[in-house]
Amino acid sequence: MPRLKYSFLDLRAKTSANLCKACLGALIIFLGAINQGIALERLAAEDWDTRNATHLLERTGFGATPEDIKNLSQLSLEDAVNLVVDGPKIRTKNFNSFVHSGVFDIGLDPFPPSRPATTNLAEKTGEALGIKVRPDGNRPLQPIVDKFFYWLRASRLETDRVTQWWGQRMLVSDYPLQEKMALFWHGHFATNEDKVRDYRKMLQQLELFHAEGLGDFRTLMIAVSQNPAMLMFLDAGVNIKSAPNENFAREIVEIFTMGVGHYTEHDVREAARTFTGWNFKGLSFEVNASEHDNGNKTFLGHSGNLNGVDVIDIILQQKVTSEFIAGKIYRFLASQELTNELKEELGIALKSKNYQLKPFLKDILSSQQFYSDKVVATRIKSPVELVVSTYRKLGLENLPGAPDFNYTTGRLGQRLMHPPTVAGWSYGKSWITPSLIIQRSNFIHAVLFPDIAFIPWDRYPDGDTNYNILSVHKKIKEGLTITDATKTNVDYGEAALSNQPDRNEEFNTRFGSYRGWQMAIERVKPIERDLPEVNLTDMVLNSGALNTKETVTYLVDRFLSVPLDLSTQKSLSDFLEKEIGTQQISQVAGSLEYPLRLVLHLILSLPEYQLG
Amino acid sequence: MDRRLLLKQAAALAGFALQPLKAMSSPLISPNPRILVVFELSGGNDGLNTIVPYKNDEYYKLRPTIALPKSKLLEIDDEWGMNPGFAGMKQIWDRGDLAIIHGCGYERPSYSHFTSMAYWHTAAPNSGDPYGWCGRTADALAPHGPENYIININSSQSLAVQSKYHTPIVFDDPSEFRKIIRSEQLSAIPDIKKNNAQKNASLDFLHDIEKSAKASSLRVRKAWENYDSAVDYGALSSQLDKVAACIAAGFPTQIYYVAFRNNAFDTHVHQVNLHQRLLTYAADAVRGFLADMERLGMADNVSLMMFSEFGRRAGENANLGTDHGSANNMFLAGKSVKGGHYGKAPNLLDLDDTDNLKFTTDFRRVYATAIEGWLESKKAEHILKGKFQSFPIFT
Repeated sequence: MPRLKYSFLDLRAKTSANLCKACLGALIIFLGAINQGIALERLAAEDWDTRNATHLLERTGFGATPEDIKNLSQLSLEDAVNLVVDGPKIRTKNFNSFVHSGVFDIGLDPFPPSRPATTNLAEKTGEALGIKVRPDGNRPLQPIVDKFFYWLRASRLETDRVTQWWGQRMLVSDYPLQEKMALFWHGHFATNEDKVRDYRKMLQQLELFHAEGLGDFRTLMIAVSQNPAMLMFLDAGVNIKSAPNENFAREIVEIFTMGVGHYTEHDVREAARTFTGWNFKGLSFEVNASEHDNGNKTFLGHSGNLNGVDVIDIILQQKVTSEFIAGKIYRFLASQELTNELKEELGIALKSKNYQLKPFLKDILSSQQFYSDKVVATRIKSPVELVVSTYRKLGLENLPGAPDFNYTTGRLGQRLMHPPTVAGWSYGKSWITPSLIIQRSNFIHAVLFPDIAFIPWDRYPDGDTNYNILSVHKKIKEGLTITDATKTNVDYGEAALSNQPDRNEEFNTRFGSYRGWQMAIERVKPIERDLPEVNLTDMVLNSGALNTKETVTYLVDRFLSVPLDLSTQKSLSDFLEKEIGTQQISQVAGSLEYPLRLVLHLILSLPEYQLG
Repeated sequence: MDRRLLLKQAAALAGFALQPLKAMSSPLISPNPRILVVFELSGGNDGLNTIVPYKNDEYYKLRPTIALPKSKLLEIDDEWGMNPGFAGMKQIWDRGDLAIIHGCGYERPSYSHFTSMAYWHTAAPNSGDPYGWCGRTADALAPHGPENYIININSSQSLAVQSKYHTPIVFDDPSEFRKIIRSEQLSAIPDIKKNNAQKNASLDFLHDIEKSAKASSLRVRKAWENYDSAVDYGALSSQLDKVAACIAAGFPTQIYYVAFRNNAFDTHVHQVNLHQRLLTYAADAVRGFLADMERLGMADNVSLMMFSEFGRRAGENANLGTDHGSANNMFLAGKSVKGGHYGKAPNLLDLDDTDNLKFTTDFRRVYATAIEGWLESKKAEHILKGKFQSFPIFT
């Protein structure tokens, strides 16, 4: 765009005044026409091929099998992009809704912000979390403290079940872009269960991303700003007329819509006033009218008795907002490399579609830029993408329970429902460190060579991080009193304060934490711990590969997005030959599985496999 | 501990004599073994409730419910008292090994965690500099190596250590810093190919990281296996014990970077108990780390810097917490540090128009102090892209 503007100015300077008037109108129309085309040039229909179909599936979903690729490449570019963005007309995969374990009860809502707040409430009112304080006896508040810790644990475990359910959707969905965009918005509108402390709100937010993630950004933005998980996460519930809390307003302008540098501190304060009184009750949005500030506010130059929706509409009028959102979507789906020119053009495109995401995505996904060498196979897969696409490319139908999905993705840096900060995850190079590249390889090992010592880490406390709970458990069973069982017997020496047991006789927090764990694992349904159902023998034999060389070529093509040099391929096929004792694989079909896994592990441990 | 003991026993059985750590590691120590450890308190630590001006009535007016009364504080002189959670730091102060630098900040402060942290990481507000100040320090001090000059113990790499010439070692769990390979695969592990015909910059990057991983993972793992310390780091070591393990193993590393996780210090709501607990974790870990350096005979070689991306609003908010602020205190700790107060505390009666403390010390003066005074480099002006006067903390 700027380039065109300059040429327009040059032209005008060179043109005489009377000619200019006549030309100007035509020129503007002409420039407008260019403008439509220049933002994103459409890929020529004849350039639509297997390579590009693979790329489209890789980026809009979670990897693809050769069958998926073949089916898509047989459509026209337009039909393929429509199918990917709109989803199939008839959905062949019907997802069951999430099955709740039934861990919630009404006494848990509202959940006080901390254990001290809970016990203070109980002391003041005689009741908390739906439980009355015992009239007499030792530790009259204990059941309340137990229940506090129960919910912390139960909500966390149930959230793990929600993400397991989501991972399963990613794996088998026939509309993967819906899941991919839900993942994008979860990183964009990041909330963390650690603070929200209610799996129901996290699930509700995920359902919102599934429903509106490909719709209209205005609808989505308003829904998010009225979403209980978000309101809880950004302390909006305490944003009241007499004392506006800026956290919510700041994140809306800084992280959700415009980015730093396009508003003043004064705008943040004024925006905070427009959101005063916005709150939630249970899973519903509520405006507490008496806490809403109805005074005059000025935000980005607009004045009046503005409310939160007005502020969002003002934000959406800003040029920088459409650029910010469009640019971020482009970086997520296409490339981290984004010039200012392209960002500006993408912003214009999104705005011209009135923030409708589907037509905007179709523009990107049909463009030459999207299929250029600078974009194809240059994107580092995020941990969730790595894990799910590995399963998908292996042809699995069930998300395995071992290795554990949440633990694995968390160790690799992307635990769903637990983004590191309000800014979500930084994509790209930040996924990779020397340690993480090793752990990615070790994940592949765990898939191909199941860990027979696997213990469901969520239910059974391990000794390293849950030392106290295990020690209390052991001592209670040995017959010690609660006081003695919860005394620390480790000499912590001088580093004292954090290790003092709670000596309040009204309750015992260590016992509560132990008891809460027990109650939680009783009620939260366990995640099924089935192993990956891998069958490389069938996969390879069905591919038509006859010898070790063709086998390696097939595996490389199926799993890698970048070509692998021939000498490496040769050494891999030599290795396979050595392991199976022949070049002809059909001769040894019955003993092929283990050697194939050794080879595939080597291939998927390559730096090349990190790219998609 | 049990695991480490087992490993030690296994090593002993295998016939390795367990030499004292110092003796084993000394040949590896570089000629200039001064080590800087940077400890980041992410989220915006509330400096006013960390080092409390208990004589100042204005402090109690600004914070009617969350101010800490004198009776709760650990007094360090007739003006200042430490948060009770800072007991570990109090011990360092009492030994004269803690410098408190008051009023650190920068012009036109950002109240965004990410922006402000990026300023602190790059030491170049508003510049969008791609390299961090620790990375640039490494580039200036040792442009040609050695390898493993920077270690960042965390699950992801900090911008602060991003360097032009160095690939920082980044890990958080040494025991998982090992590629699982089956014995029969050993002969077939493909070489890392650098002939990247497609000019794929992402692939080049991945190859570099893979190379670094191969080179460093065994050393780090060995260091952690051999590390055996009775020193107590408190409930959360914040990875400082792993720093100690690398130092004990004689790594050539001069810059270590660790961080408190997950924006923990972002105390908008109900902050008093939480904040005290966070400070306890941080202070116990620092106290333990310095004691461990003493044990290793490395106390004269190691200094630690502690900072946060901003302080918090001078006045409390309506939710028993505090919102994002500006000026804050920084800390330098270690045997070579001349303890005491440096810089000027912001005036609580003279807040800026956002009710925030006005900074009195550019934070880069403290970086310059570390670069010039501690790492003995004359290149601070080049590294920090400007002239910032050092404090006489390391004299």
